[in-house]
Amino acid sequence: MAVAYGQAMDDLTAARATMAFSLGFHIIFAAIGMTMPFLMSAAHYLHLKRGDKVSLELTKMWMRGVAILFAVGAVSGTVLSFELGLLWPGFMEHAGPIVGMPFSWEGTAFFIEAVAIGLFLYGWKRMSPWVHWATGLVVGISGFLSGIFVVAANSWMNAPAGFEWVNGEATGIDPVAAMFNRAWLHQSAHMQVAAVQAVGFAVGGVHAFLYLKGRAPELNLKAMKIAMVFGAAAALVQPLVGHFAGERVAELQPAKLAALEGHFKTSTYAPLTLGGIPDEDTETMHWGIEIPGMLSVLAHRDPAAEVIGLDQYPKEDWPPVLVVHVAFQVMVGLGMLMAVLGLLHFWFLKKGKFPRWFLGALAASTPLGMIAIEAGWVVTEVGRQPWIIYEVLRTQDAVTPVPGMVYHFLLFLILYLGLGGMTVWLFARQIRVTQRKVEAS
Amino acid sequence: MIDILVFFLAASLLLYILMGGSDFGAGILELLPAGELRERQKKVINHAMGPVWEANHIWLILVVVILFMGFPKIFTTLMVSLHLPMLALLLGVVVRGTMFTFRHYDSIQGPRSQGAYTWLFGASSLWSALWLGIIAASLNRGLIDNEAGDFWSAYVAPWWGAFPLSVGGFVAGIFGFLACIYLLGETEDEALRRRFRRWGAVFNAWVVVSGGGVFVLSLAEPVSLARQFLGHPLAMTTLLLATLLCGVLWRFLVKTRVVWSRVIAAGQVVLILLGWWLLYAPNGAITVQGPLSFYEQAAPEATLRQLVIALLVGSAFIFPSLVFLLRVFKARRPGEEEEH
Repeated sequence: MAVAYGQAMDDLTAARATMAFSLGFHIIFAAIGMTMPFLMSAAHYLHLKRGDKVSLELTKMWMRGVAILFAVGAVSGTVLSFELGLLWPGFMEHAGPIVGMPFSWEGTAFFIEAVAIGLFLYGWKRMSPWVHWATGLVVGISGFLSGIFVVAANSWMNAPAGFEWVNGEATGIDPVAAMFNRAWLHQSAHMQVAAVQAVGFAVGGVHAFLYLKGRAPELNLKAMKIAMVFGAAAALVQPLVGHFAGERVAELQPAKLAALEGHFKTSTYAPLTLGGIPDEDTETMHWGIEIPGMLSVLAHRDPAAEVIGLDQYPKEDWPPVLVVHVAFQVMVGLGMLMAVLGLLHFWFLKKGKFPRWFLGALAASTPLGMIAIEAGWVVTEVGRQPWIIYEVLRTQDAVTPVPGMVYHFLLFLILYLGLGGMTVWLFARQIRVTQRKVEAS
Repeated sequence: MIDILVFFLAASLLLYILMGGSDFGAGILELLPAGELRERQKKVINHAMGPVWEANHIWLILVVVILFMGFPKIFTTLMVSLHLPMLALLLGVVVRGTMFTFRHYDSIQGPRSQGAYTWLFGASSLWSALWLGIIAASLNRGLIDNEAGDFWSAYVAPWWGAFPLSVGGFVAGIFGFLACIYLLGETEDEALRRRFRRWGAVFNAWVVVSGGGVFVLSLAEPVSLARQFLGHPLAMTTLLLATLLCGVLWRFLVKTRVVWSRVIAAGQVVLILLGWWLLYAPNGAITVQGPLSFYEQAAPEATLRQLVIALLVGSAFIFPSLVFLLRVFKARRPGEEEEH
């Protein structure tokens, strides 16, 4: 998001920055809201089966975290549902009737999630233990479904379907075809696995760190193991899902693929470039490591296949190549790193002992999954530019006419930074108190 | 199809006001001086709101989704012209939801941090209620102008003025009133009950006074609520009925007949909304260029059908789960301590 020096952000840039920041903020809480209930239910299950107190403490500690994060996720999600109209009325006017359907289903799923979380948080003594346990699981399941619906709506922007575009108006609308567009499956799968992976690593990392510090070792080791089972399994599945997603992008949005690979010239035996800095002006890649023919293989399963480059598109239809390429490299690089850690985790789990260096590595990788998610959304969203509906409607034609968007952006920047800071602070307090409690008993 | 959707829209709005509204009211109540009752009141509100506020909040999201999928032109018109009040509302919604939760789940319950959470929760509840009323008033005053050339008439004039503010005050009063009636049945503590009854009376009086203010101030409006009202016997009847119910309500309140008080208070709100609805139906908003009718601005038939299906199937899940939620928590066993 380039800001011209010496002048304030223009309205389009400010609107995009607001949307990016709101989504980037919400996605962290959404990922946690989708995954954390499963971790919590696993710990709760162990407690109910074996009756051990540590699992109960862990369940309650995670539950308090879920309560805080769910609240932030719910309200920041509400903001997003308004912002679709506040920032992009030109988009919603056309897109609402076409792609509103997944949102209406998401509403239902979210409703059930909200009811279930109320039941779980406050229902400890009001239901039989297993019914209570099941309400916690319902939070996770309905949250997971919400995620799939919302990503399906997003995927429609990348693979528009279920309408015909005639003279700037949509006709022949088919909401079902729009929801099950050609990008919904790979995007949803990629995101849901990413959520499990990122949260598994984040939670596992924090508990590995606390374990290394010697605080409440039994609790933290157990917590780390539960979280990392989810995180490591997802990290091992993700490369396959990611590859599937890449193939679909190659087919549906060749310009996006070209940008994320920094592939300027259409060619057969296209190389895969690791790292590197693409230069849009000279249309070349600097300092990348090339693996000959690999991009053709990955995109089309054939080293001789032609991979479309950015040269097939007029320059005003290019996404910002540098941003997209770097974000993609970050996402894939971190994904690979997490896959290796995941493999090691299962190896040490089988051996029954975790060496300190590995726990240190886990602690260090706490934020990796979340960074990868953010990078992945940059690839998806910035990679679709300059389109808001791919090859149908340009982002600049959808933005609100309301001026002074930079203030809107600043308002949410301050609000969300404040909320983010407070959340971290609350967690630090909570971890401290739970540990004291466990250590005292 | 459109009738069903408009029904769902109205029902969601009504449920948001009834259920979410009393949560806002609880916040407003906590903003008021409470002396030594403060901690006890906080506890009652935490227990009453904690399990249900997220579910109550989702009625608002449903309103937004029905609008943008079913009536996209009305949705975008409002989001452009009322950008600023919507933004203000959102700010309040975010702050109050998070502060309520943070207050409860902060592991270290210090007096200073708790005080700050409570103040922010209360202030943002009042703030959101005011803006909700301002937005409601702006829909039908005929100042929304999608073709306006300058900033003031495009983005400020539609919601600016004494009339929308008076509606904001009216809505805040209703919310506070609902909270008092509702909370009365959530505690056995006689001192607190006295407080809820007393403040219920104050809010009730405020609703009547500010309602009168709304009426008078609307006389100067381009599309005048008061004049519309006088020409609409049915709408007048509903409002009259709502006012008359005050007397009945007070009898039940004095005797602490919890269920009946709640039913009648809810009935009053239903009547007020119904009156409002009768005045403007079938218009979602009235702009300078003319009214935006739900019938003329609806999405294509295929979309409406899918939305109706989603809402019907959704209801089949949502209502049983809500009933279960209420049965679990509202079957209150006195003296019981929650554990969480």
